[in-house]
Amino acid sequence: MTEYAETEDPHTSVASEPEELVKPIEEEGPSEDPSTGEAPDVEAGAGEVEEVEGLRSVEAVAAETAPDTSGLEDIGVASFGPTAEAILGRDDRIQIHNTSAYPWRVHSSLLITAADGSLWIGTGWFISPRTLITAGHCVFIKNSGVPGRDGWVRSIRVMPGRNGSTLPYGSATSTAFRSVTGWTSSGNHNYDYGAIILPTNLGSTVGWFGFGVYSDSQLVGSTVNISGYPGDKPAGTQWYHSNRVTAVTATKVYYVIDTMGGQSGSAVYQIRDGGRYAVAVHAYGGATANHGTRINREVFDNLSTWKA
Amino acid sequence: MREVIHGVVRDEDGRRVEAARVFFASGPVPLPDVAALTAADGTFQLTAPVPGRYSLMCVLDDGRSETRSIEVIRGGGALVEFEMPADR
Repeated sequence: MTEYAETEDPHTSVASEPEELVKPIEEEGPSEDPSTGEAPDVEAGAGEVEEVEGLRSVEAVAAETAPDTSGLEDIGVASFGPTAEAILGRDDRIQIHNTSAYPWRVHSSLLITAADGSLWIGTGWFISPRTLITAGHCVFIKNSGVPGRDGWVRSIRVMPGRNGSTLPYGSATSTAFRSVTGWTSSGNHNYDYGAIILPTNLGSTVGWFGFGVYSDSQLVGSTVNISGYPGDKPAGTQWYHSNRVTAVTATKVYYVIDTMGGQSGSAVYQIRDGGRYAVAVHAYGGATANHGTRINREVFDNLSTWKA
Repeated sequence: MREVIHGVVRDEDGRRVEAARVFFASGPVPLPDVAALTAADGTFQLTAPVPGRYSLMCVLDDGRSETRSIEVIRGGGALVEFEMPADR
C-alpha cells in the first residue's frame, strides 16, 4: 500500500489553468474614450459594425458557420487537430479603400525589424498621440529558436492608414516598446500584448480608439470588429471583418473573424454610442475561433500607463 | 520544444526572392498572426510551437502565392522551398 508523507495529500486539487485565468469577469470596468483626431474625414460609428460596402451581416455569417456537432472526434485529437486555421469557413474580409478616414487611419501597418535583422509585418492601433497597442510578440520575440532573434525587436516602422504603397500620414519609426513579464519572461500567451511609443504625435492627427474592461456577459455573443494588414492580401492593404464573440476567459476573447499572418496586434473593438472601444488585442489564429488578449483590469491599467 | 522551419523562396527562374511574405495558414495549435519577409537571399525562418503538420503560405507583391504543407519533426524542424509559379 502506498504511504503518503504528512505533507503530501493525494486529494490536493490541481488545475490546468491558474485561478486568475478562469475567474469570470462579472462587472464592467473603467474605459478610456476615443478621439477622431485633427485630420478631417471622419466616419461616424453607428450600430455594431462599420458601414462597409459588401460586408455580409453578422447573422448571415453566423448562420453559415453554425457548427455541426454530429462528427465530433475524441477529445484526444484536441492537441493535434483539427488544424488551427485563421480563415474560418468562407473568407469574409472586406478591403478598406478610404484608409485616410477615421476610423481606418487608426489602424497602422507595422514593419518590424527583429534583433537579428529579420523583417516581419504586423498591425497596431493608436490609443493616444504617441502610443500604439499591438501584440506582445510584435515587440518582443520569445522562444524563436533562431540565434540572435529573441528579445526586444530592433525597430518598428509605423504606417497609419496605409493603403498599398500610399502612406496618407507618412510613417514614424520607433525603438521604444512596452510589454509585460508574463510575455517577456514566461512567453505565456495569456499575456501577449505590448505597446509602441512613437517619437512624434502622429496619433493627434489620425485619432485613436478607446478601450475598456467589459464583463463576460457584455462580451459573449456581442459583435466585435477587426481591421488590419494581412499578409495574404496585396501588400499594405487594409482588410476588415466583424462577427460575434464566441467565448471568453479572464485573459482571452475568442471570435469567428477571419485573419491571416500580418494581422497580429489588430484592435478587437466594439462600437458603443458611436465610439470605437477595443476589448482585446488580436494575437492568434485557432482551430474554430481566432483569439486575442482580453483587456481586463490589469491590461487596462498597463495600457493607460503606456499612453504618451 | 519549439522547432525552426527553414525555408527559401525562388521565382519561376530559380532566382531567390527578397521581401516575399511567408506565414502559417494552419497548424496543430493556435499560431501567432505575424508574417515574415524573406531576406535578401530569399530565406526565412519560422518557429513552429510544436511538432506536427503545418501549412505555410507565401505571397509575392505581384499577388502570386503558393501554399506548402510540411511535417515538423521533433528535434529536426523542417525545410521548405517555395517555387513561385510564373506570372500569368
